[in-house]
Amino acid sequence: MTWVNFFGNALDPKVGGMAFFGIFLSLAVFLIGKYLFKISKGFFLFQPLFVGMVLGIFILWLMAKWFGVSLPTFYQSAYKPGGDIIFWFLNPATIAFAIPLYRRNDVVKKFWLEIILSLIVGMIISLFIIYYVSKLLGLDNTMIASMLSQAATTAIAMPISGAVGGIPAVTAMACIINAVLIYALADFLIKIFRLNSDPVGAGLGLGTAGHTVGSAKAVQLGSIQGAMASIAVVVISIVVDIVVPPFAHMMGLF
Amino acid sequence: MASNQEATKTAATEHEPAPILQQMGIFAGVLFVSSLISPLFPKSFPVPTPVIGLILMYVLLASHIIKLYQVEKMADFLISLIAFLFVPSGIQMANSLNVFTDDGALTGVMLIVTIILATVILLVVIAYTTAGFMAISRKVFHKTTDIQ
Repeated sequence: MTWVNFFGNALDPKVGGMAFFGIFLSLAVFLIGKYLFKISKGFFLFQPLFVGMVLGIFILWLMAKWFGVSLPTFYQSAYKPGGDIIFWFLNPATIAFAIPLYRRNDVVKKFWLEIILSLIVGMIISLFIIYYVSKLLGLDNTMIASMLSQAATTAIAMPISGAVGGIPAVTAMACIINAVLIYALADFLIKIFRLNSDPVGAGLGLGTAGHTVGSAKAVQLGSIQGAMASIAVVVISIVVDIVVPPFAHMMGLF
Repeated sequence: MASNQEATKTAATEHEPAPILQQMGIFAGVLFVSSLISPLFPKSFPVPTPVIGLILMYVLLASHIIKLYQVEKMADFLISLIAFLFVPSGIQMANSLNVFTDDGALTGVMLIVTIILATVILLVVIAYTTAGFMAISRKVFHKTTDIQ
């Protein structure tokens, strides 16, 4: 089966190889999602990102079955080389949020103290609620510790999670699910919790709960929401850095 | 404040957007400098490259070293792509789906439920806390919180 090589030598567990398949698959599943979203007139389960994720994993799973290798092996050798190239562009895309932030510098200058206080106090309250909800649902200490740092960007959330006795892979998963959920449900959640009356709060909430994807959503809602979500992404990550380790220590998680 | 907003807008429309390659160059430069700063932070206090880059880009804009027209087009383009750029992260879950099944199906389901609840909790608690602090500024410190 030499044509297997077109997918980056799927039968070879070695990482590396051809990136074309991963890039093509990412674009194909996302565009299918976009099409489904359009013909279903915006049904929330057909959000392009969600469809892309589920369909992408499903296609990889089918192909892994077909080639008789495990899904992680097939992912590593066939998809990851291309996926990593697209993933890299999240770096410049994240710093791009400095622009909507600067565009509403007037709001930042006026409310910087309220913004920072809200994020610190809001984060601490959220930590308590998340801790007790996890406990109520019967998660063990390792899993609870993995839930605490998910508000930060993945590159901060993972090491902090490891440092407080959690599993970094679970935290990374939580960050991804946060983003996908917020992108799909933001409009619905804003409506039922009536967050629209306060654009500053809505923006900070979207940036915290949905990371950069939440910020992209916030930019669509308005310039103030977009700027506030952008500042939330930065400040909440630093807040998690500072607040989560002592919190976990206080709760006796490690 | 409103005039401030208008001033920023006109400054942006006065200029033709800078050539796209120049905009990419600024992004690449900011990222590169940030990647040199990032390792200086201790392991217990990680600050990744893109977070430093966002702060650096904001500082450069606020100090007028970089003008909006030099980065605006690239930034709007990248932000419009975010949902797509996140697809590989989503598919990456194929690599570690076992974390949901390792401790039994029940724990896996509870874990997903907790993550869903945590997302909603973070959104709502942060938004309501902000509304609270805004109300304090308004009522206790008599600060106007009207913004367009």
